[in-house]
Amino acid sequence: MRWLIRKVERRAKGQVQYEDFAFEGEQLTIGRGADQVISISDPRIALEHLGVRRVGKRIRVESQIAAGFRIGSETSRQATLGLREVFEVGGQRFRMIDAPAGFDAAIEWSPIDRQELEARSIAERLPTTLGETWLSKRGPSWILFSATLILCLVLPLMAHHLGNRGITQVAPVMQLWDTGHVANAHRYFANDCTSCHEGGFQVVQDAKCVACHQQTKAHADPHQFPLYEVTDARCAHCHRDHNGPNGLVLTEQRLCSDCHRDLSTRSAGKTQLLDVANFGGDAHPNFMLSLPAWDSEGRYAPVQSRMGTGPLTENSGLKFPHDKHLGAVDGLASPRGKQQLDCGSCHVADAGGLAMQPIDFEKHCQDCHRLTFDRAAGDRQVPHANVDAVLAMLNEYYAKRAIDGTWDDAAAPVTVRTRRRPGQELTPAERNEALAWARTNAARTTRTLFEGQACGVCHTVTPSRSETGDLAYAVAPVRIAGVWFERAHFSHDAHNVMDCAHCHAASLSKASQDVLIPDIKNCQSCHAGEGSPGAVESTCTMCHGFHDAPFPMESVLQARAAGTPTATPAGSSP
Amino acid sequence: MHQSFLSHRRGLWGWVALALVLVSAVTYFAHEPVGPRSGGSWVGYTLGTIGALLIVWLMWFGVRKRSYTLAGNVRGWLSAHVYLGSALILVALYHAGFQIGWNIHTLALMLMLMVIFSGFFGVWAYLRYPSLMTSNRSSTTRAEMLDGIREIDRQALSIATALDPGVHAMLLRSIERTPLGGGVWAQLTASDATEEVLEKLRGAFVGQKEAGADKSSGKTDPGLSGQTIVRIVEFASRTEDQGQAENLRKLIDLLSRKRALAGQLTRDMQLQSLMEIWLYLHVPLSFALLAALIGHIVAVFFYW
Repeated sequence: MRWLIRKVERRAKGQVQYEDFAFEGEQLTIGRGADQVISISDPRIALEHLGVRRVGKRIRVESQIAAGFRIGSETSRQATLGLREVFEVGGQRFRMIDAPAGFDAAIEWSPIDRQELEARSIAERLPTTLGETWLSKRGPSWILFSATLILCLVLPLMAHHLGNRGITQVAPVMQLWDTGHVANAHRYFANDCTSCHEGGFQVVQDAKCVACHQQTKAHADPHQFPLYEVTDARCAHCHRDHNGPNGLVLTEQRLCSDCHRDLSTRSAGKTQLLDVANFGGDAHPNFMLSLPAWDSEGRYAPVQSRMGTGPLTENSGLKFPHDKHLGAVDGLASPRGKQQLDCGSCHVADAGGLAMQPIDFEKHCQDCHRLTFDRAAGDRQVPHANVDAVLAMLNEYYAKRAIDGTWDDAAAPVTVRTRRRPGQELTPAERNEALAWARTNAARTTRTLFEGQACGVCHTVTPSRSETGDLAYAVAPVRIAGVWFERAHFSHDAHNVMDCAHCHAASLSKASQDVLIPDIKNCQSCHAGEGSPGAVESTCTMCHGFHDAPFPMESVLQARAAGTPTATPAGSSP
Repeated sequence: MHQSFLSHRRGLWGWVALALVLVSAVTYFAHEPVGPRSGGSWVGYTLGTIGALLIVWLMWFGVRKRSYTLAGNVRGWLSAHVYLGSALILVALYHAGFQIGWNIHTLALMLMLMVIFSGFFGVWAYLRYPSLMTSNRSSTTRAEMLDGIREIDRQALSIATALDPGVHAMLLRSIERTPLGGGVWAQLTASDATEEVLEKLRGAFVGQKEAGADKSSGKTDPGLSGQTIVRIVEFASRTEDQGQAENLRKLIDLLSRKRALAGQLTRDMQLQSLMEIWLYLHVPLSFALLAALIGHIVAVFFYW
């Protein structure tokens, strides 16, 4: 095989000098050694570095040492190269060129330009600072900024404008803006922010609250009490949602005491309420008790009486000594034997656990206090009802007995005493006589019941005559169980771990005129105001409601919308 | 005398930050809002405004340190950046009333804490690494170290040309195999193949020389295998030529110097990369924080 080796040298001013020489042999060797075909004096080249052979129309380059040779920026130990494909070793560059006539193969050999070598060594230098590596601050900053902005701003804004359509169906993006747990009662619509928030940099409007809370009562008459808290304060002044499941209804004492500590001054004397700052000590006035009373027309008209201001008597309309019913050591004698009564025998809290269920004669009293009326009638009893009903029942009873006959009483007419055969009819005269006897007996028995030891045991009964001259009795009205505190809520259920006697001194009460409702001192033995040590912390809302006025909140909003009345915020009012 | 940025003007900004934290704490604990403490009270809004302005100002440090026109020197700005940035933790927590949840508001808080704590690593790095770098460099520069290594490589190759071709081939290979510098991991871990390669070489050489073992090797293995090293050693042990022996000693000496210099250089790169790596977290996270902050503020006032 005949090789052509063409050495190309670039001189100054762009001159190029060629030097050709030929070589006979199968393998063309390149190295530093003098025995090499192409011998190059360069310490970066080994004595025997490369061997080049022709393989078909291509050349096969093989390195004799591990350092190899370069093709582009890669290092190789062996490669098959085509025409004009370059390989380098040390500072020398080689490539196969078209073999001229008379040669089997041709290699072009040229030293690499010094400037190119230097540029390459800089370009190929490995990074020595982090700034030269792939790490960057600018790119990740832009990516993180954009991604976070999309997540925190763009998606929620899109969701707000799309409402329940689009993205909110895929992912709950609105929850990204949620500042906290929505109140439990609001959770069923909490996914739709616009049910409360109009959006667009606007506070929640009261109309949105009242749209559902139509039944909510106002706190006070805004015309009479033009205070900021009554007239202009937003619902959110007190009710801040997104504060946890129970965070919506605030119970802080100062929400009330800020105004009520000097309410008489703030309302310019228009209120009848006494100032109150706390539940402990003398900061809370004694309770206002609703005592039963009736007006001249007989309508129930309770009297509000302040406890602790003097002896109070209760006019329940009933004669009932608690001590006699509770005090018997070995029980009360009753038709069914000895019975031991306690408070729960008669007083049972209602389903809500707040007030007591009404006392029922038939259920609670009649076992002992039987309304029998005639020995001859055996166990028959008159109804626990007014005089007309009792008289009507007795009339019917005695009339039937008179017509039936066989009444065993020597004082009765013969007609009434006679036994009659079946089918035997009375003459009109006999019937009149019998019925007259029945009427007389009924009237007498009624009088005995009402004026004697039946009704009068418990009731105050006043005999009278009606305009028609009929028998009539006025029984004094009775109220036993009811609402004692009209503006406060007391739950018996919440206190069911206590003995009744702890608060109600019933076993010592000899007369029903005794007021057995305890006053504030009794409550204060366990309860005290906010922040009091060693007591049940009891803020105003434990017993009192805020939305307690007898008209709805809506009317306040309407008055506000109409431009009247307005008040200056708390603190700046005189 | 060098003054740390922490003690700039006797720690003036530390005292300013402490005052800010104390005022925030007193206001936070003295104020009893209606309902739970949150960003929605006047104290919440005030602390939130202060916090947001602080974040923008702290990020402005990135602009300021590139500029020579604004008031104050960079050390003063860095001192204020560090102290006020630390104070921001409590200002932000008081602003939020320590409320957290799965929402963007807490995301902003978490991003802020990540930025600040990465900054704390930066403070530690800036206090620790510069002096370590100075003592490691022992009054040379990195460019000088790099040049020194290239010079040693050149000298070693030129000595090796006078020695055995196997030794020369091995050297060529080792130069190629022991690049200086590298990727993020290589820089941070100071991975340095030079030391390993040269230690092997030297150990084998010394060991063989002492044992005086005579092993023949028929061929030139171009790899950096034991045989190559054996070949050098073999060559060294059988040489009678004093010139050659001298060259070998020179070569070994050069290689030892290279190892020392390369170790110093990789240590230098490691210290510098450790000192700088946190910034690649600190800066991008601060931009995420800026976006979360914008979202937080818009969300709060959009659904007021």
